[in-house]
Amino acid sequence: MNCYEHTLIIRQDTSDKQQKEVISKYEDIINKNSGKLIKTEKWGPLNFSTPIKKNKKGFYIHFKFESDGQTIKKLEDLERIDNLLIKFLTVKVKKFDLEKNYFEQKSKQN
Amino acid sequence: MRRMKRNKFKKKQKSSFAKLSMFQRTSGNFNKPCPLSVKNAPIIDYKNVPLLKKYVSERGKILPSRITFVSQKKQRELSKAIKRARILALL
Repeated sequence: MNCYEHTLIIRQDTSDKQQKEVISKYEDIINKNSGKLIKTEKWGPLNFSTPIKKNKKGFYIHFKFESDGQTIKKLEDLERIDNLLIKFLTVKVKKFDLEKNYFEQKSKQN
Repeated sequence: MRRMKRNKFKKKQKSSFAKLSMFQRTSGNFNKPCPLSVKNAPIIDYKNVPLLKKYVSERGKILPSRITFVSQKKQRELSKAIKRARILALL
């Protein structure tokens, strides 16, 4: 079992219902395939520094979970087909730092 | 006579070293400690965008460690974190 961090970028023109469906869909995939979800963070809509596929804004979602390497293959294969997503990133981590959330503090101050 | 010659030789050596000191670095300015390996230093992470922005030029290039005085180990971590942040368009 390895520790992973996974971030998704959903399109901005989606409704709140669609965003919730996307989150629950990928949470189920992690939990069903011998994974353990530890935390999900919503970073909210953020401006891109550079446009990605002609989009200027996106809705960021961050998962922290433990799983095998095979579940990530299944996750990424489904995400490549998904039209609502713009980009994703998986990072292997030795330890989770659950104390800091860099993007929540920003939204509170502003 | 021999002693006299030795003394003269020694004096010459000292003078030659004095000339060399012009080209040697002064110790104060050139040995700055690494700002990321001090106690209570900030954690290098691709989510920590305000930290990463300090080590990037105005055009978005990674600054060399000879300017920022970051140690080699931390510079490797930094460059990886910056490249991950670029993928997510955070930087």
